[in-house]
Amino acid sequence: MYYKIGVDVGGTNTDAVLVSNKNVILAKTKQTTSTTISHGIENAIKNVISEGNIPTEKIKYIMLGTTHCTNALVERKNLNKVGAIRIGLPASRALPIMTDFPEDLKKILGKHNYLVHGGYEFDGRLISPLNEKEIKGYLLKMKGEVESLSITGIFSKTLPNQELKVAEWAKNVLGTGIKISCSHQVGGLGLLERENASILNASLKGVATKMVTAFKETIKKLGLNSQLFIGQNDGTLMSLEQVQEFPVLTISSGPTNSIRGAGALSKISNGIVIDVGGTTSDGGVLVNYFPRESTQSAQIGGVRTNFRMPDVVAVGIGGGTTIRIQKEHCQLGPDSVGYQLKEKGIAFGGNVLTISDVFIAEEQLQIAGASRSEILKKEISKVMNLPYERILQKVKETIQIAIEKLVDTLKTDGKDIPVIACGGGAFLLPQKIAGASKVVFPEHMEVANAFGACIAQISSEEEIVINTIQKNEKNELKNLLEKVTTNLLQKGALASSIDVLMKESTPLAYLPGAVKLKVKLCGDFIS
Amino acid sequence: MQKINIEDIEYIAMGSTVLGTGGGGDPYIGKLFAKEAMKKYGEVSLIKASELEDDALVVPIAAFGAPMILVEKLFSGDEFIKAFEMMESYLGRKIDAVMPAEAGGLNGVIPFSIAAQKQIPLVDADGMGRAFPRLEMTTFTLHNIPVSPITQADEKGNRNVYHTIDNTWGETLVGATTIQMGGSCAIGCYPMSGRQLKDAGVHGIVTYAKSLGKAILDAKKLNLNPLDSLIEKAAAVKLFTGKISAISVKTAGRWNKGVCEIIGLEDFQNSIMELDFQNEFLMAKKDRKPVAITPDLIVLIDAENARPITAETIQYGTRVVVLGMKANQQWRTDKGIELAGPKKFGYDEKYIPIEELNKKIEDVL
Repeated sequence: MYYKIGVDVGGTNTDAVLVSNKNVILAKTKQTTSTTISHGIENAIKNVISEGNIPTEKIKYIMLGTTHCTNALVERKNLNKVGAIRIGLPASRALPIMTDFPEDLKKILGKHNYLVHGGYEFDGRLISPLNEKEIKGYLLKMKGEVESLSITGIFSKTLPNQELKVAEWAKNVLGTGIKISCSHQVGGLGLLERENASILNASLKGVATKMVTAFKETIKKLGLNSQLFIGQNDGTLMSLEQVQEFPVLTISSGPTNSIRGAGALSKISNGIVIDVGGTTSDGGVLVNYFPRESTQSAQIGGVRTNFRMPDVVAVGIGGGTTIRIQKEHCQLGPDSVGYQLKEKGIAFGGNVLTISDVFIAEEQLQIAGASRSEILKKEISKVMNLPYERILQKVKETIQIAIEKLVDTLKTDGKDIPVIACGGGAFLLPQKIAGASKVVFPEHMEVANAFGACIAQISSEEEIVINTIQKNEKNELKNLLEKVTTNLLQKGALASSIDVLMKESTPLAYLPGAVKLKVKLCGDFIS
Repeated sequence: MQKINIEDIEYIAMGSTVLGTGGGGDPYIGKLFAKEAMKKYGEVSLIKASELEDDALVVPIAAFGAPMILVEKLFSGDEFIKAFEMMESYLGRKIDAVMPAEAGGLNGVIPFSIAAQKQIPLVDADGMGRAFPRLEMTTFTLHNIPVSPITQADEKGNRNVYHTIDNTWGETLVGATTIQMGGSCAIGCYPMSGRQLKDAGVHGIVTYAKSLGKAILDAKKLNLNPLDSLIEKAAAVKLFTGKISAISVKTAGRWNKGVCEIIGLEDFQNSIMELDFQNEFLMAKKDRKPVAITPDLIVLIDAENARPITAETIQYGTRVVVLGMKANQQWRTDKGIELAGPKKFGYDEKYIPIEELNKKIEDVL
């Protein structure tokens, strides 16, 4: 018998759950996210441990989902000074490094960008050999002026050798302390997007190290001896070492955790998950317990990357969403009082009508310190200058229409499918939704995200292009599968639990014989 | 004559994606390439073919190769200049203007970078009015303008000049060497006189692409629905609304062949559409009956944001609208249908213009 703790740091709340090794929730909590993020984490963990009343030495794993890296990029704060090398001349000269970056980010990051000779063709032939003198010359220019280095080579997904060689030279010139991000380990095919991801990754290394250190200290302070993990954007986990190598992969892990958590809580494998927070309702599609991914290339901090992010559609309806009624028209949001509900909401003596106020009046939501139902109804009626029943009807109608539209947008076909509610604001979702076969409000739905972090597995993936005129496709796919399996075992997966999430071979247009192979596996931790 | 600036390139690239009818390569890379050149060398003059002297020399410049390679092995930029200069030295005279060979996809924006760099005008015309998968599928071929001499250069500096016995051989030979060059290269082709272009081109296509792009991208500013404004601007027929329910792809020779199935929604409940593509969308069938056939344009649009979807990025579950647009009149002649009609792509169905196909349906209803 052992226990796990899942923690999810959101913009407003930090949630935590204490879970048994059979994934049964024993304790849960919601804490306000403080400016010092680790305080929120500390409080949340403390809380579930004391509530769960279990021996702390039996807490084997702690899983953290966090927005540290997202925030750093969005706010352009604490980013490392990055040097970027692209290996590929004479190809690629037409589009310089950071071509399509937002200007402000380019100003912060773009001081040492260099294109050097090298790169491979799709079939493994050289575009140019590396020129050691050229590359070391640029490395010397960067010396003392960069904290981390991004290295991107043309077709490095098929042959990483040149990237690795340049990384070796970089350590010689810049010292072993230099943090290096090699693009073949960060992104997929598509040079600009992979290079962008690699540069963002390099820029986040300092933030990641700080976050990991703070997380470790918090856990130590709490006297815990658990193994620590951080959630990745595809719903799987990374070790703290991996997070420091690939911090950019933690971005957008939040929605993924909610969707997976809601699936696991409701034991529904396929359906639509609506996560209602303070400001928005985020809808995603659950396919075999994993989120459906978006086709659009993901923008991170205004930069185009080729990460596959969960396909999430948001509407501006959350617990703190403001309500305005003019003539016969009811307008919800898009603004929200957010964490100031207890100052601004009518139920707490304020003068802004929020969705939470209405549900408190309906006794469908209990918050300590709120006015009693009868008094609140009168108060709402007075502020809005309309009969309460009328307001209630309008608000419910408007929510109904917006949520039904959201469900319809997300659905793949005309068939009715289950809708699973989760998040702190789930109370506002209607019991019946057109297009939904049922609406499920699972127990513990308010902490689905933290639970999602808890049940996450580990994964590994690779993507390469091969020439089937030279190589046998079946053998190559087998080799790739073996390589990914080895990676996954090294990350700590239980061999018997390894599952194939994706095994694709896609022929490439206009290139007879060329095939793109992609393999993705996942597995449970050895426990 | 009008000046095209960096901002216009955004519109043209978006319009080119519409005219790409699912193929032609994603203009994203081409757009960045054109913008970089214009940042350095300034705006480009877009002229009408009628502004050209009859004896002017016009050369279409294009990227040639596999879309997947173009996004990984990015252009050096030199390959286009080399293909251009090789044509000049081979013909022994200066090129007066460049133009797109195909306005659909990546090649709709690529020539702007050469025009900017060489400080010569770009002609508001192309040889397709859309995208097609083969070099000989142009209105130039319909007017017996030879594709040769073709000049070809890769980013490494390798160069070729071709003299082919006909335009189909041009595609075959350039296609074969492009693979050895690593899957992408730049070409100059169909060198022609101002007079020839006036007769053979699809005119005003760049301006048209710009207006389609504007319809989509500016709609929000004007408080309009981007899809409605695109339909209006393109005089398009809304063929279907639905969700992608199945996709199957296989490679046949150099082309990605496939079928995309869409289940109907809204006005099209209980109907199914099948979209056949070979890089480009070529045939749309509603409940097994054709509603649009190549060379007419079939455009797949993401219903959420009114952005065109390329055949490579079709994904299960996406909510889409299928639009049909009339092909340029030159494609609707017997010769045009023979060169780029359904039979050329291996379909048994006969070409029937989109407006007739859809009038019939309205009559039945």
